[in-house]
Amino acid sequence: MKLSPQGMFGLMLIVVVAAAGLVSLFWTPLNPLGLNLGARLQPPSAHNLFGTDEFGRDVFSRAMVGARISLMISLLAVCFAVVVGTFVGIMAGYSRGFLDRVLMLCTNALLAFPGILLALGIIIIFGASITGLVLALGLSFTPSVIRVVRSTVLSLRQREFIEASRTIGNSEGYTMFAHVLPNCIVPVIVLGTSMFGWVILLESALSFLGVGISPPTPTWGNMLSGGRPFLESAPWLGIAPGICITVTLLGINLLGDALRDRYDPRMARA
Amino acid sequence: MKKLLLYVVHRLAWTIPTLLLVSAMVFVLVRLIPGDPAIVSLGDDATAQQIADFRARFGLDQPIPVQFVLWLGQVVRGDLGVSVANGQAIAPLILERFQVSATIVLCAMALAVLISVPLGLLAAWRQNSSLDVAIVSIATLLLAIPGFWLGLLMLMLFGLKLGWVPVIGYVPFSENFGAAALYVALPIATLTLLEIGLLVRMMRAGAVEVLNLEYVTHARAKGLGERAVLFRHVFPNAFAPTLTIIGLALGNLLGGIAVMETVFTLPGLGRLMVDAIYGRDYPVIQGCLLFTAFIYVLVNLIVDLLYPVFDPRVTAA
Amino acid sequence: MKRLHAVSGGLLAAVLMATTSAFAASDTVRIRVSSDLRSIDPGVNRDFNTDFMLQHVLEGLVAFREDATIAPMLAKSIDVSDDETVYTFTLRDDVTFHNGKKMTIDDVLFAWNRYMDPKTDWFCRPQFAPGGSSGVKSVEASGDDKVVFTLEKPSALFLFNMARFDCGATAIYHRDSIGADGKITQQLIATGPYKLSDWRRGQYVGLSRFDDYSALEGDMDGYAGNKTPKTANTRFMIIPDAAAAKTALLAGDLDLDWQIDPSQIADYEKAGNVELESFMGMGITFIAFQTRDPKVSDVRIRKAIELSLDYPQIVAAVSEGKAEPSRSFIPRMSPYFKEAQAVMPERNLDEARRLLKEAGYSGQPINILTNKQYPEMYNIAILAQAMALEAGINLQIDVTDFATHGDRLRRGAYEMQVFGYGPRLDPSLIYDAATGNKDKEPNKIWDSVEAKKIITQSMIVSDMAERQKLFDTLEAKFREDIPLIPIFSKVITSAARANVKGYKAAWTVGMPRAWSITVE
Repeated sequence: MKLSPQGMFGLMLIVVVAAAGLVSLFWTPLNPLGLNLGARLQPPSAHNLFGTDEFGRDVFSRAMVGARISLMISLLAVCFAVVVGTFVGIMAGYSRGFLDRVLMLCTNALLAFPGILLALGIIIIFGASITGLVLALGLSFTPSVIRVVRSTVLSLRQREFIEASRTIGNSEGYTMFAHVLPNCIVPVIVLGTSMFGWVILLESALSFLGVGISPPTPTWGNMLSGGRPFLESAPWLGIAPGICITVTLLGINLLGDALRDRYDPRMARA
Repeated sequence: MKKLLLYVVHRLAWTIPTLLLVSAMVFVLVRLIPGDPAIVSLGDDATAQQIADFRARFGLDQPIPVQFVLWLGQVVRGDLGVSVANGQAIAPLILERFQVSATIVLCAMALAVLISVPLGLLAAWRQNSSLDVAIVSIATLLLAIPGFWLGLLMLMLFGLKLGWVPVIGYVPFSENFGAAALYVALPIATLTLLEIGLLVRMMRAGAVEVLNLEYVTHARAKGLGERAVLFRHVFPNAFAPTLTIIGLALGNLLGGIAVMETVFTLPGLGRLMVDAIYGRDYPVIQGCLLFTAFIYVLVNLIVDLLYPVFDPRVTAA
Repeated sequence: MKRLHAVSGGLLAAVLMATTSAFAASDTVRIRVSSDLRSIDPGVNRDFNTDFMLQHVLEGLVAFREDATIAPMLAKSIDVSDDETVYTFTLRDDVTFHNGKKMTIDDVLFAWNRYMDPKTDWFCRPQFAPGGSSGVKSVEASGDDKVVFTLEKPSALFLFNMARFDCGATAIYHRDSIGADGKITQQLIATGPYKLSDWRRGQYVGLSRFDDYSALEGDMDGYAGNKTPKTANTRFMIIPDAAAAKTALLAGDLDLDWQIDPSQIADYEKAGNVELESFMGMGITFIAFQTRDPKVSDVRIRKAIELSLDYPQIVAAVSEGKAEPSRSFIPRMSPYFKEAQAVMPERNLDEARRLLKEAGYSGQPINILTNKQYPEMYNIAILAQAMALEAGINLQIDVTDFATHGDRLRRGAYEMQVFGYGPRLDPSLIYDAATGNKDKEPNKIWDSVEAKKIITQSMIVSDMAERQKLFDTLEAKFREDIPLIPIFSKVITSAARANVKGYKAAWTVGMPRAWSITVE
């Protein structure tokens, strides 16, 4: 798979961030949960690459764990949206008629919900756990996947090889999964890469509004909102997670662009 | 023309079941959230009797389907009820707050479109040149910055450090244009920057696709000047997918703007909804979401109607 | 309301001309408030912010002095019968309403009757209704300047309840305030030093000085005393977000933030043109146990948890060194905080581990509930979890939004929680809020019949020495049962720009008062 230089750069950024997250499972420079009330709000130094927070915890270590948590949640949410969305989208696009109408009604109703409020409501109901967050974030983006898949299916339906599959006697189900599904993968993957970025942003927005993962687990979102009171006296608290998010999103966007250019420039249309 | 009218009527007819479904979902969702509006409003010291009276007053002691039907009956008459928190009439409240959010969102979107369309066209026209690379890089970077972080940084820089604009406050343009402009300059600027990231790339992608199509080559071969090619053939067709994105973004912004409104202390609709959720103010949540859904549906309808104007390959139906 | 718009339009335009701090009118003090007025009907739909804003506009028969004792306000004097059941209020004859009319005995009776009317929904009606803690048997006029209240039984809290700000201070307002729908929504015509002149919902609450205010003689003394406003206007700017308020203060768009998060202290100190003032309030933050939950029903486990925490460190971190820890449920500022209340046991990890072993605890997770709305509650949970871990106690933090937290508190659905009570000026009220029968009132924390008896007694007896004895007995019982662990009384720190003078933050009630402030 050959990508443009920008795409490779994006992939590299993502790999670096993901690696940091993975490494954090086994090792971080210092204990990300370790309080050190004697060394609060210290500026970046050789010992604390990103400084310390209001409890004396090492910000760099927390950023590493934050990478893992934020990426994991985003990945799970995107998978949720992709799996559920693809399934429903194929059902809707393939069956047409009444089922299609009902499914699209529900989808449009969900889309009409401002994403952040839907997520907020779901998190308050299910609690600010990883499950709740994945559910909330996933549900917010499932409708978009449904719409993209459905329109892909609609345009595929008329194609000859679908007709051919039916003519030779294959069941609808087989046709759906053996022929339709593979053609949906590419647009979904391209959408998925954009979604990944949106999910990370939504997660940080939710932390900002006060419903993030329970402490003391760090996510970039809750580190960002936790750094707000200290913007003058300890700006590194807000700058570090912000840069992490920006770098990750940059990587995701560059990679997504490269994938899109490579496979089909027309996928931009919703 | 008649076909178009039929299409509009058909779409509008479909909005009703959509809004109904949205309302039902909100109704149920909101009541699933733990926390009693009575207690949130009255505080911990309330007696059981006071709580019971409160619930009766707002009809919260009825079964949920009954509450829903009663609420629908009110809505049909144009009455969205009163806020549980302070007794304010909800419909005028929503309109007032919407004015604030809409002003900022529309101004930002308009500015973003005005800047992004030429930039996107330019980048596509000079594809792979250093200018193109520069434009795309900036746009990609803007897309990667968390919105409220950018807002915070802008506030600190232009509001606090430089003191060019006030940091809090709001006044409608109708009341005092000068002061209003100063108050909303930063939020609009922030939102514009964020939208530019999105729109420039869309515009460029669409334009690149069209520029490579045969009929453009054909037009050029006919002897049409570059500018004519760009404006009469490339722009309209390239703009169409961007239009869709604008529609989706506008719809999303209405809720997502809550974070921006918190950072800039704006009395907008997004913040109203978030506060209502935290305050378990059921009537306000219901009214706001119904309203936002309606706006979203309306915006999408307009976008779908405008689409064929730009891309004749697609008909509205 | 049209009339108000005309008046406020001019004022508004004048203020709007000033878009940067350089032109800020010094005839307006801009004070931050974190949420809007809930309602202007006294004691009907209120929260803390509503209460303190309205205290600038209204007054009742009695009011709190600087030290939280009760003084006559609209009454000239109060006579209490020997058996403490008859209170005779002699009214002042020099009180004017905001509409220019003089206050008469009819106005007082009218207001009282409206308060006691169930339709008004007065928050404190249960206290004064028959059977309440200050149940009133009858209210009568005597002569043309005396109002006589006869109580069902003696009550140490009668005058106190009248002065309570969450009751709207039982304010006397003019009947023209009441709209056609029987509610006070458009205007509040009261007797206070300010008039409500310009209310932009969601943005600010504007007050302007009442020029015909008949002030009491002398100096400022709580809500009694001389309240003549030094500055013509006060505007409460509604800024829900604490960080936005800080930016506004530093930028000069705000003059005073009367309660900042301790976490902001570092930023403000760095800025240099802002003055901070701290004082201890009468609220109390604590960790509570659900004594009926099997995980913590064993008092040895509760004791172990109590022993595992380092309170001086927690409080120093959470309050940026401004507050002191306290292990009593009675706040330090209370006159009843004496030797018994001041006892501070030491942290003892060994003893904690021993008790845990005895009780058979072996690392099971215990859930501690908190919320993000109050940073100190949030931070205490984080610190407590880390410290308890050193004794082998496994605490899992559960963060919810405030309404959900309140809901779970109400139902008793928690194992441990970090919570706080706002200022309740009398210890019996603090204990009463937390104590009761969990079968009937699941929101109660301390289920002890003997404790309830002592508390009820303390609400009847008025002699301070006797009450002190009761509170001391309660303290001992409390420390034995450990239904909750008091951590500290919140210190309220205010931040004001250097050109803001005269703000007196520190007083027992702790609510901000604007009348003494000038902006240079």
